[in-house]
Amino acid sequence: MTAITAINENRQEPIRENVRLGPEIISVRDIVKTYPGGLRALDHISLSVRQREVVVVIGPSGSGKSTLLRCLNGLEEIDSGEIVIDGVPLDEDPGHRLTIRTEVGMVFQSFNLFPHMTALQNINLAQEQVRRKSRKEAEETTMALLARVGLTDKAQAYPAQLSGGQQQRVAIARALAMHPKVMLFDEATSALDPETIGEVLEVMKGLARDGMTMVVVTHEMGFAREAGDRVIFMENGRILEQASSDDFFSNPRQERTRDFLGQILCGPVPGPAESTPNAKEQL
Amino acid sequence: MTARTKAATVPGFLVAHYRDFLLYGLFLGAVAWFIASGEQGMGYHWKWYRMPRYLVQITEDGWVLGPLLQGLLVTFKISGLSLILAMIFGLTAAIFRLSDSFTARLVAKGYIEFIRNTPLLTQIFFIYYVIGPIFGLGAFGSAVLALSLFEGAYASEIFRAGIVSIHKGQWEAAHSLGLSRLDTYRKVIVPQAVRRILPPLTGVGVTLIKDSSLASTIAIYELTQQGNIVSSDTFMVFEVWFTVAAIYLAVTFPLSMFVTELGKRMRTAE
Ligand SMILES: Nc1ncnc2c1ncn2[C@@H]1O[C@H](COP(=O)(O)OP(=O)(O)O)[C@@H](O)[C@H]1O
Ligand SMILES: [Mg+2]
Repeated sequence: MTAITAINENRQEPIRENVRLGPEIISVRDIVKTYPGGLRALDHISLSVRQREVVVVIGPSGSGKSTLLRCLNGLEEIDSGEIVIDGVPLDEDPGHRLTIRTEVGMVFQSFNLFPHMTALQNINLAQEQVRRKSRKEAEETTMALLARVGLTDKAQAYPAQLSGGQQQRVAIARALAMHPKVMLFDEATSALDPETIGEVLEVMKGLARDGMTMVVVTHEMGFAREAGDRVIFMENGRILEQASSDDFFSNPRQERTRDFLGQILCGPVPGPAESTPNAKEQL
Repeated sequence: MTARTKAATVPGFLVAHYRDFLLYGLFLGAVAWFIASGEQGMGYHWKWYRMPRYLVQITEDGWVLGPLLQGLLVTFKISGLSLILAMIFGLTAAIFRLSDSFTARLVAKGYIEFIRNTPLLTQIFFIYYVIGPIFGLGAFGSAVLALSLFEGAYASEIFRAGIVSIHKGQWEAAHSLGLSRLDTYRKVIVPQAVRRILPPLTGVGVTLIKDSSLASTIAIYELTQQGNIVSSDTFMVFEVWFTVAAIYLAVTFPLSMFVTELGKRMRTAE
């Protein structure tokens, strides 16, 4: 509990002060996702996200956080339920699917930059191929985005020449180039060296400040506290608890949530038999 | 053991492998004896001095390629064209095999199995005598088509291996950016896959040069066919076929070495 209080006291200037939430933009109703092996990764999940809202998803590894994000942009098929994003249902219609994957940006734990292209080319690619922009138009947007993530001087660098933090910032810029309505972050800082985590979190906080709608899977509780409007705690493919970020950290209702927060903030606590060894890996 | 460490310990190496050296010497001696006895036994007289004119000739217009080197040019032309087509067939078949469409997978699988389970010579005859007349394809076109279909089937396996070796995160990133499947292949997957499979792909080129000799059977005047003509015109059977083999070797051996070297570099680079 002490660590939680520490974070509460450590509050910086509020990032979300000037952001007004809009109407619902993501609607997830009662979705179920079973993997081919028979594993039920999402077990009747419902979720609503409003425009400009920042939702942080936390939970032990294997709880279905990645699967939830992947379903949201059509990377995984759902068995049942309904996903609607900005009025477009994610159904069989290929047009709908294309709209959704184009307008929902995703940032991966492993960056997934295209290694044979420079930072500039990575960010240009979809603008030219999908948005049909001219090279010149695309490059203008790209340079503005590189400036926004602080990498103007790395336009001509290949991914292998960049640090993890720099690569992830390029990946964020690449997703932003499509002018997405929603950005999904799947443990965007988990693969990074500790010294470069901060620079990526700063970029993400900047987006939150500018009113980007974001669903963020992370173990960075500082980010959740500072930039998140709402925190969702998942376990075993279910949403166990969700609350505004203030309430969530000051007054977690579920025993499991308290355990999890205790572990993630203080390291593994000896004691309760059900404390999973998984929690250690997430840090 | 690398060449460098061998060189550094020559005496030790000689001692350790004296038996190999002995055997090698015996083997060379046997070959020489075999050839020499063939010459005497059959009353064969080497006429190497007559060979150069079949490689290059000097006329009043200057240097002209002899029939063998002209044949080599045709071999290059067939192999080169077939290589380009084989890459197209191979890549297409690979993408079909990895497609979601059952029909596409079936077409590709049928093509590959048919090609791999019938002799190349039969395919050449089939295309020359059956398909060729229907589409007005001459001997040259038939040879190129047959060879490229044949090597394309093998290249498709190489392409497929290269494509599936690309990390699925690349597909996912492309998906999340809204790229179409075709654009993902074109811009993301194939450029990366080709880098990885360049060594085996060059190997297809080597095979193609060798297999193009089968085009001689449908009256294409490539290297082997020219060798045939020269040797039956002159009765210099030994000289001609030694020369023809040497020419093939001179072309394919450096390519093979290049393939091996490329493969080593790629492995260390990864
Ligand atoms: N492609 C897959 N095939 C089969 N099972 C999977 C696949 N991806 C994830 N899973 C399983 O689904 C569950 C949820 O995984 P995931 O969504 O990655 O969880 P999280 O991101 O919270 O760690 C885990 O038990 C995981 O092993
Ligand atoms: Mg995950």
